[in-house]
Amino acid sequence: MGEKESSSELLIANKELAYQNQEKENHAAELSIANKELAFQNQEKEDRAAELIIANKELAFQNQEKENRAAELIIANKELAFQNDEKENRAAELIIANKELAFQNDEKESRAAELLIANKELAFQNDEKEKRAAELIIANKELAFQNDEKEHRAAELIIANKELAFQNDEKEKRAAELIIANKELAFQNDEKEKRAAELIIANKELAFQNEEKEKRAIELLTANTELKKAEDDIRKFNEELEQKVIERTAQLEAVNKELEAFSYSVSHDLRAPIRGINGYAQILEEDYADKLDQDGIAVLHSIRKNSKKMGQLIDDLLAFSKLGRKQVSFADINMNNLVNTLKEDFLAEDKEKKIEFNIEILPPAKGDQSLIKQVWINLISNAIKYSKNKSHAPIAIGAYHEGAQVIYYVKDNGAGFDMQYYDKLFGVFQRLHSQEEFEGTGIGLAIVQKIVNRHNGSVWAESRLNKETTFYFSLPDINS
Amino acid sequence: MSHEEIEILFVEDSLDDAMLTLRAFKKSGFVNTVHHVKDGAEALDYIYARGAYTSRNVQKHPKLILLDLKMPKMSGTEVLQRIKSDPNFKSIPIVILTSSKEDPDIQACYALGANSYIVKPVESENFFQIIKEIGMYWMVLSQLPD
Repeated sequence: MGEKESSSELLIANKELAYQNQEKENHAAELSIANKELAFQNQEKEDRAAELIIANKELAFQNQEKENRAAELIIANKELAFQNDEKENRAAELIIANKELAFQNDEKESRAAELLIANKELAFQNDEKEKRAAELIIANKELAFQNDEKEHRAAELIIANKELAFQNDEKEKRAAELIIANKELAFQNDEKEKRAAELIIANKELAFQNEEKEKRAIELLTANTELKKAEDDIRKFNEELEQKVIERTAQLEAVNKELEAFSYSVSHDLRAPIRGINGYAQILEEDYADKLDQDGIAVLHSIRKNSKKMGQLIDDLLAFSKLGRKQVSFADINMNNLVNTLKEDFLAEDKEKKIEFNIEILPPAKGDQSLIKQVWINLISNAIKYSKNKSHAPIAIGAYHEGAQVIYYVKDNGAGFDMQYYDKLFGVFQRLHSQEEFEGTGIGLAIVQKIVNRHNGSVWAESRLNKETTFYFSLPDINS
Repeated sequence: MSHEEIEILFVEDSLDDAMLTLRAFKKSGFVNTVHHVKDGAEALDYIYARGAYTSRNVQKHPKLILLDLKMPKMSGTEVLQRIKSDPNFKSIPIVILTSSKEDPDIQACYALGANSYIVKPVESENFFQIIKEIGMYWMVLSQLPD
């Protein structure tokens, strides 16, 4: 062994010491931690001890409480034990009382059984007695009933006896009545036989009449059928007629319209050329007369006269056709005023002073004043015209009632007309005199007739040539 | 004859009637103031200064119109209606002078504003007399609007 070995051993020992030192230090540190742990645990234990002290106090309080409760339970237990004793005493008393009652019960049952037997005996005896009483009551009632029956029977017999006597009397009376009735019946029988014979005859008569009536009925039925057929025929005929009237009316309306168009044409178109002829003729006459000889001037005169006449005819024709279309208005007409006014007009125109009017009182009328005035004008002017050849011209105007009409007349002593041509008197443009004898277009009387007809009247005339001529027209009497 | 002097406008399609009427006016001393036109259209041209009459002064109205009814093209009734419905001309007096005596014509003309309705007589003497009297009445006796 050398030095080297000793130093290495020293080094190792050193290191061992260092290591031991380190271990000791570690251990010291661990001891310090453990120390701290113990201190902490110590603290914990102290806290726990404090808590245990508090818990201990709590338990001590609870313990006290439980002891109090136990003391109370002991007192309650003693009470219950006392009550238990009491109940046992009472039960013992009850058992004794029960026994007593059971005994008494037995006693009562024995007694009841005895009473039941006695009762049954009494009930039987009672039933027996009641049966006997009921039998006695029935027997008694039977006897009483038999007694009553016998009394009734006796009373009935007495009544029956009286009844028989009465019936006997009645029968005798009845027999007498029957004899009388019998005679009466025999008489009635005879009467009835007579009556029956009469009825048979009457019956036959009725049967005959019946047959006649049936025959008559059949005849009537036939007549009825024929009548109905006739009625049907008439109705049919009527319908046809109505249809015809409608057609005819339509035709008439068409004709009327044509006529109106014709009148207008006549009024306008025919008048113009005539006016021309007339006018030019007058110009010739006025401005060129010195270039014509006597005959030429005469011809010119004829042209003017004819064209003037033509104009007059056209105007008259127009007036006449207008009359047929004019609406007639009906109003009161004072005939006296109307005719007397006309009289003045006519007298004013009478230069020769030969007219003498003789006018009676004229009844009033109903109608179209202007048209009726035209009637009077035409009749009076005719009377004057046809009296022109007389030196004295009396004109009588009057009226009279006839039925439901008033008849007015105008009478003159002029030329008159030949009754032979009477049917032409009222015709349009019909003249019974030549133009040379009496001027005129032949429209005046046609107008008179048309106006009077439109007033539901009629017009007629009678004449003795050159002696007396009367024109009449009738209008409905306004008072009837 | 200047249109400024015209006092009567005479509307008539029938040359015969026109000739006779104008003669009657002439004899009555009105001839220079009458202007004759042959139909309704010409009458309106005259009144409104149109067609052949553009040179005429439209302000200068005739004092009287004599109007026939039945005329070709435009009837007298139409002329009457046109003039009477125009505020500028309706004051001009219009006398209907016609051959028609038909009632409906007369009613219609007065309804349209005609101032008179005269039927021309067929008889020449009466006709001339009536024309003369129309001239006298309307041109001399009546006070007409200007």
